[in-house]
Amino acid sequence: MSARAVILRVAALLLLVVFVTAPQLFAFAFAPLAANNAPAIYNQGSLLALTLSHLRIVFLATCASTALAVALGIFVTRPKGREFLPLSRSLVNIGQTFPPIAVLAIAVPLVGFGEKPTFIALFLYGLLPIFENTLAGLTEVSPQTLEAARGMGMNARQRLWQVELPLALPVILAGIRLSVIISLGTATIGSTVAAKGLGEVIIAGLQSNNIAFILQGGLVVALLAVLIHDGLGLTERMAARKLGRFVDETA
Amino acid sequence: MIEIENLSKRYGDNIVVDDVSFTVGDGEIVVVVGTSGAGKSTLLRMINRLVAPDAGRVLIDGQDTTTIPEDELRHRIGYVIQGYGLFPHRTVAQNIATVPRLLGWDKARIAARVEELLDLFQLDPGEFAQKFPHQLSGGQQQRVGVARALAAKPALLLMDEPFGALDPVIRGKAQDDLLAIQRRLGTTIVLVTHDMNEAFHLGDRIAVMDGARLLQYATPAQLLTHPAEAFVEQLVGTVERPFRLLSLVTVKDAMEPGSADGEPITVSATLRDALAQLIWRGRPALPVADASGAPIGRISVDGILKHGRPLA
Repeated sequence: MSARAVILRVAALLLLVVFVTAPQLFAFAFAPLAANNAPAIYNQGSLLALTLSHLRIVFLATCASTALAVALGIFVTRPKGREFLPLSRSLVNIGQTFPPIAVLAIAVPLVGFGEKPTFIALFLYGLLPIFENTLAGLTEVSPQTLEAARGMGMNARQRLWQVELPLALPVILAGIRLSVIISLGTATIGSTVAAKGLGEVIIAGLQSNNIAFILQGGLVVALLAVLIHDGLGLTERMAARKLGRFVDETA
Repeated sequence: MIEIENLSKRYGDNIVVDDVSFTVGDGEIVVVVGTSGAGKSTLLRMINRLVAPDAGRVLIDGQDTTTIPEDELRHRIGYVIQGYGLFPHRTVAQNIATVPRLLGWDKARIAARVEELLDLFQLDPGEFAQKFPHQLSGGQQQRVGVARALAAKPALLLMDEPFGALDPVIRGKAQDDLLAIQRRLGTTIVLVTHDMNEAFHLGDRIAVMDGARLLQYATPAQLLTHPAEAFVEQLVGTVERPFRLLSLVTVKDAMEPGSADGEPITVSATLRDALAQLIWRGRPALPVADASGAPIGRISVDGILKHGRPLA
């Protein structure tokens, strides 16, 4: 990575940290956007606390999606599970085609307001990229490599853990990255059902017609997305570099 | 000793291997040769049970292979495939250590074995141990593939077109290296190829397969002088036959007493090489020297030609 790229990332991170811990410092920049003497900086709660709970729900939902999608991906690529491939594909696809807002509408009567419905929506929405990438990664492993592994007396479990998963890892990580980025944005709508998150800032802005609020919420989410995308991409490249491939695709 | 008894395999209506039997002696190299689709690879894969036979059995030193758990059997049999199937995410050293690790050898023993094998295959451990497969040339990958198969000192090595991915120049060298290593370790080898030259170069015995059947199982010389079927005769090459026969005999067997002028030929050279020298230098005879270079006799065109016919 070039020095300029490093400086740019560190600067973005610093900006984010300073903004969520001491947003008043930036009041001058947002003041022109706040009409009719409305506050320029979000004042109904701590930006830092909202950012942390936003990250928390994205993290929890992604962990759950990853666990299920990777397990499912492994299962349907085993001889025993192959016949379930079409079924799991359609299930996961349904998760993706359902708009998250519709999931919230259905989930609230069932589990009540708060974090739970948001978690369900993010979890369902995040399954598809991870599942498809797990499938792609596992089926991409060269048949020769697997034949050699079998010929040397590796059993199915050893082949999975020692050969297939390590080789599929960069592709699976790319799926997780995609899922995290989608969730970071989607989580903002969780605030419509009273989940703590950065969506609150945006919604407050929409309700009071305060562009400064909307921009603040959007900006923090965007910075988070860019930084996390970058960080995960870096991990992927490290995993891929060992294999001497995929490097160009993730760059 | 490997005894293959009446092995058969069919996929649907398609017979891939049809009642094949032969015996491989300890320390022998047997080459299974035939056109593509003749069932060679399937036959090989039935020996380590990657393919389950429909009928027949394989005995290793008298023990039926079906009585040994599959994975355990494969730990005991080296296996090299075309393209080698090296693990791209593991270093050369880790690749070679695969079977010893599966067997639970301790670290020091594995490290010593890896180093020993790298030396044996002329790969400097300092330079190559930590490299990844994609950083190696084709010839180096091939050597790592064979080294990995030999890591746990298997008595039997199965090779499926192990030289198929190499260019002709490297292939000849790789074949010579394999022969040298096999002579040193005494490993029994069953090797599958479609290249007749390779079969004659490497094989102590050759099994010719066509259309799922074993047509003939014999030494290279027998195959040339007494082909069992027209197909075998065609495969060994009618025109090539005398030269192939000459390549199986060394100068030692056709040497005559006396002397001749010119650059001497070493006693261990094949008659084919000797004849090539005689033709190229335009001489009827050349002196023969032993390994130290001392003259011990002569070799003549007439003497060589006598060995180029089946009834000589």
